[in-house]
Amino acid sequence: MTTGYAELFCFSNFTFLTGASHPHELAERALELGYSAIAVTDACSVAGIPRAWAALKGSPLKLITGSWFELDDTPVGSATPRFILLAQNRKGYGQLCRLITTGRRRAEKGKYNLFARDIESHELDHCFCLWLPPSETKANSEQARACGEWLLRLFEQRLRIAANRTLEAGEEKQLERVRWLSEHLHCPIVATGEVHMHSRERQPLQDVLTALRHHKTLETAGHYLFQNGERYLRPIPVLQRLFPESWLQETVRIANNCQFEPGSLRYEYPSDLVPADKTPGAHLRHLTREGERRRYPEGTPMNVQALIRKELELISELQYEHYFLTIHDIVNFARSKGILCQGRGSAANSAVCYCLGITEVNPARVELLFERFISKDRDEPPDIDVDFEHHRREEVIQYIYQRYGRERAALAATVIRYRPRSAIRDVGKTLGFDAALVEKLLDGIDWQDNAINWRQQILDRGLTRNPKIADQFFTLVNTLLGFPRHLSQHVGGFVISAGPLSELVPVENAAMKDRTVIQWDKDDLESLGLMKVDILALGMLTAIRKALELISKEKGIAFTMQDIPQEDPATYSMLQKGDSIGVFQVESRAQINMLPRLKPETYYDLVIEVAIVRPGPIQGDMVHPYLRRKHGLEPVEYPNDAIRQVLERTLGVPIFQEQVIKLAMVAAGFSAGEADKLRRAMAAWKSDGDLTPFRDKLITGMLKRGYAPDFSERLYQQVCGFGGYGFPESHAASFALLVYVSAWIKRHHPSAFYCALLNSQPMGFYSPSQLVQDARRHDVTTLPPDVNYSQWDHTLEGPKRHLRLGLRIIQGLSSTGGQRIHKKRPKHGYRSASELRTVANLDQRDMELLAGANAMPGFTTNRHQAYWQLLEHEEPTELFAQEAQADYQPHTCDLLPTPTEGQNIFADYSSQGLTLIKHPLALLREQGHLHHCLTAEQLKHSRAGIPVQVAGLVTGRQRPGSASGTTFVTLEDETGNINIVVWLATARQQRKPLLTARLLHVKGVIEKQGEIVHVMAGKLSDLSHLIRSLPVSSRNFH
Amino acid sequence: MLWLYLHFPHLLLDHIQRNQESMGALAILDSARQCIVQACPTAQNLGIETGMRLKTALALAPDLNTLQAEPKQEAWLLEDQARWLYHFAAHITLVPPDGLCAEVSSLQKLYGGLSAIWQTIEQALTERRLTAWIAVGHTPLAARLLAQTGKGECSADKAHLLTALGKLPLLSAGFDKKSCTRLQRLGLNSLGEVFTLPAPELARRLSPELLARVQKIEGTRSDPQAPWQPPHIFRQRADFIQEVEHTQGLFFSLQRILAELEEDLCWRQQDTDTLLLTLQHRHEEATRLRIRTTGPEHRAEAFLKLIRLKLDQQPLKAPVTALIFTVKQFTDREVPIGQDLLGETADLDEAWHTLISRLQARLGEQALRQFSLKEDYRPECAWFAKEVLKPGQKQEKAPASLPHRPIWLLKCPKPLTQIPVAWLSGPERISGGWWDGQRVHRDYYIAQLPGGELAWVFRNHQDGWFIHGWFG
Repeated sequence: MTTGYAELFCFSNFTFLTGASHPHELAERALELGYSAIAVTDACSVAGIPRAWAALKGSPLKLITGSWFELDDTPVGSATPRFILLAQNRKGYGQLCRLITTGRRRAEKGKYNLFARDIESHELDHCFCLWLPPSETKANSEQARACGEWLLRLFEQRLRIAANRTLEAGEEKQLERVRWLSEHLHCPIVATGEVHMHSRERQPLQDVLTALRHHKTLETAGHYLFQNGERYLRPIPVLQRLFPESWLQETVRIANNCQFEPGSLRYEYPSDLVPADKTPGAHLRHLTREGERRRYPEGTPMNVQALIRKELELISELQYEHYFLTIHDIVNFARSKGILCQGRGSAANSAVCYCLGITEVNPARVELLFERFISKDRDEPPDIDVDFEHHRREEVIQYIYQRYGRERAALAATVIRYRPRSAIRDVGKTLGFDAALVEKLLDGIDWQDNAINWRQQILDRGLTRNPKIADQFFTLVNTLLGFPRHLSQHVGGFVISAGPLSELVPVENAAMKDRTVIQWDKDDLESLGLMKVDILALGMLTAIRKALELISKEKGIAFTMQDIPQEDPATYSMLQKGDSIGVFQVESRAQINMLPRLKPETYYDLVIEVAIVRPGPIQGDMVHPYLRRKHGLEPVEYPNDAIRQVLERTLGVPIFQEQVIKLAMVAAGFSAGEADKLRRAMAAWKSDGDLTPFRDKLITGMLKRGYAPDFSERLYQQVCGFGGYGFPESHAASFALLVYVSAWIKRHHPSAFYCALLNSQPMGFYSPSQLVQDARRHDVTTLPPDVNYSQWDHTLEGPKRHLRLGLRIIQGLSSTGGQRIHKKRPKHGYRSASELRTVANLDQRDMELLAGANAMPGFTTNRHQAYWQLLEHEEPTELFAQEAQADYQPHTCDLLPTPTEGQNIFADYSSQGLTLIKHPLALLREQGHLHHCLTAEQLKHSRAGIPVQVAGLVTGRQRPGSASGTTFVTLEDETGNINIVVWLATARQQRKPLLTARLLHVKGVIEKQGEIVHVMAGKLSDLSHLIRSLPVSSRNFH
Repeated sequence: MLWLYLHFPHLLLDHIQRNQESMGALAILDSARQCIVQACPTAQNLGIETGMRLKTALALAPDLNTLQAEPKQEAWLLEDQARWLYHFAAHITLVPPDGLCAEVSSLQKLYGGLSAIWQTIEQALTERRLTAWIAVGHTPLAARLLAQTGKGECSADKAHLLTALGKLPLLSAGFDKKSCTRLQRLGLNSLGEVFTLPAPELARRLSPELLARVQKIEGTRSDPQAPWQPPHIFRQRADFIQEVEHTQGLFFSLQRILAELEEDLCWRQQDTDTLLLTLQHRHEEATRLRIRTTGPEHRAEAFLKLIRLKLDQQPLKAPVTALIFTVKQFTDREVPIGQDLLGETADLDEAWHTLISRLQARLGEQALRQFSLKEDYRPECAWFAKEVLKPGQKQEKAPASLPHRPIWLLKCPKPLTQIPVAWLSGPERISGGWWDGQRVHRDYYIAQLPGGELAWVFRNHQDGWFIHGWFG
């Protein structure tokens, strides 16, 4: 007769630096071997369970949830207990989660501490306990027996003694002890594999992990390593040779008594939000109707009414009411506090969400979007991300904690995984490569290259000349890639539950103080069908709110986002010129170059604009076909109506992630489930995914349906291009709204726009200096910081709306001091430095910073003199201070030089990062340093193809992965930005000026495409000596 | 008073480069391996500067050689320089990490003028293949600032020196960061502008410490320098950026070191009979060699011959990354010696050592070994013959439990030709060692052979059977 086998002791790689296989590898291998069940039992963790579960969905192999523990103390007179707990049912699972939470919450991030008293005090009556008796070297037989008796008292007939056969020295003695204990305790023995990997081939990696865990190299790890590679999932015949029949039978018996199924974890949403006398559905309907009246005071249009009805039906059918109510509650809180927010994601752009105030995207404007509202056949929870003002997101998070309590709300985890750099570093370390050498190899590797290329790059840099060692090295690195390293906190994904969260999933400490995370990440939650709410931070929302406040003040009435007129031609014509510095999402150099080519005229054009300048569409070569079709240079054709439906709104070119997925379904016959797998594989493609399994399916599917081979191949290439980089339409729609709103403000209320942007720093792409220069080019008069006029924040002054820089622009000034200057300012203003010092109660540091910023022009001759006066300060006695401060006449020091214009510019930059006097380039030009150099403005009016010279401060160096080694340099002069393109060969020959210059001179040739001007660089020269230590920072991307 | 200051802009680099002929661009990294602390002229030409991030430096020069700085080593190196400078000047001060200051007014007569001193020092530097910026100053600080900025001139004229100092940019004056920022905010850019400000104002508005420093530069405030005393030890170190694989590669630096030793001994009027040579390897334990002469000696040539002999006997066990040469025992030339060392010393350590060295000298170094355990599952790798321990050195701790192993392990497993009559234990599976190319994958058994012997046998993964050892 054949005996089945259930493996009850498996470490996955979620027992960090111990397990050498992914949970899904373990699960899949166990299935292949014909095991009847497998338990994933990571150390004080259930983090690997969802992945194993997802791999086994629909297969006959049973997954058992368990965890391994080693206690930190010893019950009196016994040995340190080491054991596995297996959940028998949902209740047992809850008990297990509670114990894990206790152990994890008490220890620092990544560790756990559990003591004998915890096992005594926690309810664990629905868990099996598999005890691993101590070896002879660890405890004598009396101690071992005492330990067994202690466990027996706690677990009674649910205790088993685990026996391993790893064929190591001393095993015979251990088996003898196991038998002896079993006899004395009347406790059955169960066979276990102490599995650390799914296959024996992983032994080298397991050794590497062990060496890393002990901070050793393989050479020095010695007995920390295992004696052999037997800790893998062994075929049943092998096990039958090693274990007595009854021990194997016992595994199956236990497995049969473990009934818990992770898929049964249904999310129970908090019922707090529904009034006692209402059902959730009725309450949601009620709130939606209220919202309708607010959104459509003249009556809801018929088509929207129908839409709402349809959506509500779907929501109640899928029982998602609580989800929508929870988000509504959070958004409501934000609104009550005046915090601007905006939802995005598939479910966010629904009519119901518009009525609930979760989004501002009006369904009447973009009806196309709703076909992709939560679908019945895709069995996954709706996805709504909500962006909040970045400065005030913490208030929202605190509200959630306060409303639901820390027992019921926690952040989802993010699994930090091995990336090429960390994998190479760690494998190199254990193989004994010199650490400095490895660092040197890693520096300057182009990671955007694909894996084969960076392997070659590393070999070229002289890692080793031995091909065998190189093979070994890269095999290990490639296997280690994607292994989890630790759990970190997700940026804003909250899980909120009805009961205590720790019975649903263990909670552990995050690195940040007072933050806790659950042991699962967002993919795990998704695969188990649990919902999360993403609470994200967005700087632009802060800026928009501040701008709207300024406009309201100017108009004298409240002005909100809804009051912004739609489809304003002036706004679009501004964007078409590429005049978009500061505008949400479309302000990068690539976007600025795209705007004049795409020429957006409608809201939907903006949706496309947001999604098209992404690596996905660029690498999938979708940009040019789309532009040609949009401008009527190329006919728009569809192979058939089904495809027309999917691609019509983007003129036959797939631009959004959803379209690619939909195409796979329509053209290649993917089922909803398969399409979903494809979506996940695409998302993971960059890190560890593999799309080749989908290739055949996609291409044969399409050929079978009569599509041309090259069309099929192109679609597959597009799918690959989208991997990890595709932008979903549902998010683009929400972003496009903010693009429009911010562009409209920039066009019609420029002072308010720049003022709000400056007050929301740090955010966006540009430095305050660049924003102020752009403001001045848009005829916004800008005034310097002044203790007698400025507030802490930047403000708009007078009927002409002049932008007065606030004191916050002075780097290092204390905000309390800065605010006091405004609050305590006398009616007549401050009349002397000493008055300022005493009235605003400023310390020496703040005073010096004010002098350095030249922020006291009312009563000081220049910044040098102002500073001289400050330095002699002595604490005034109370009496003297009162009377004498007003008429105190400081004497000047005639030994000090009067600041030159250049010195003032320099001092402004070092104190504020910008100057209003004159751009340094203008000064250099006046002084005759920049002969023959054209300005950015002059370039616009020069002919294409002519050789030119330009010079400017380097404000950006970029080498995008999609541009095959080309570097884009942005130079700034007094009239604007100059775009320089440096080909790879040019860059290699002139590394020094390219990489180090802060002021760069370029000889090159003008190239023009419509209104976009580039200079193709030839000779580069470093002119940094002309500006010495002018603090200009460049954003460098490699 | 007149002071001469030597500023070594890249002492570590010089140190490396005089031990190995040119090897392209070279830079020294800080201890965190993040930033460049010194760059050789070749590297500087490629745009590499002090303070630059390693990442940037490598982008500029992908083939850059790098070495990590050790603070201790820098201190040693500076002391090395002090030692030879001490031959020329009695009153010298160390200014770590990279400067030496010597009082020279008293030497002018001895050498015949300032320029003669200057030339002597420059020549000594050239001989030692060292880069140093030299300056003369009327105060130690003046000399130092001029040297550090590379503005040194061979002049003792105070007015001239003050003008040169006045032209120095503020940042080169070595003021603390806060004072520097303040002075800049007052619009001052050079040291001369600071000199013009009235002293009381300086003390009041900036700080008394700043005034003190200004006055020490100018010479209106005394700046006493404690003279340095040379330690009674000779120690030199050579680091190799490219590992030395053959004995021959060591002699380039050894010759230089021995020449300096001879010079040092002559100047001390002393001899020595014991040289200590330590060779460091990347992975293995350092090789320590003790070279004894038959009698007191000071000639480089004689030492070199002995070392050559020693190294010929004992080939390098691994490539050498660094060499440390130490002499601790000195004997005065006048004292006659010749007593038997064994009889002279009662120290057991010394006696043991002498015994070992004599045995080794007689039998050859290879012949003497000590048994030691190594943590490795592979039986043939679980022990090794270690260099002989000196009695003072600590014995390693034996592991808590040893697996059941035969007392006699065969050097090479030999095929099992008889069929065992009994199997007493096993299998014990040993699989490992994949990382060093000597992978084993074996199942071990204890078996009784027909002759009654207890053998430790194994089966390898190709199903071959072997005897690996015998039990008693």
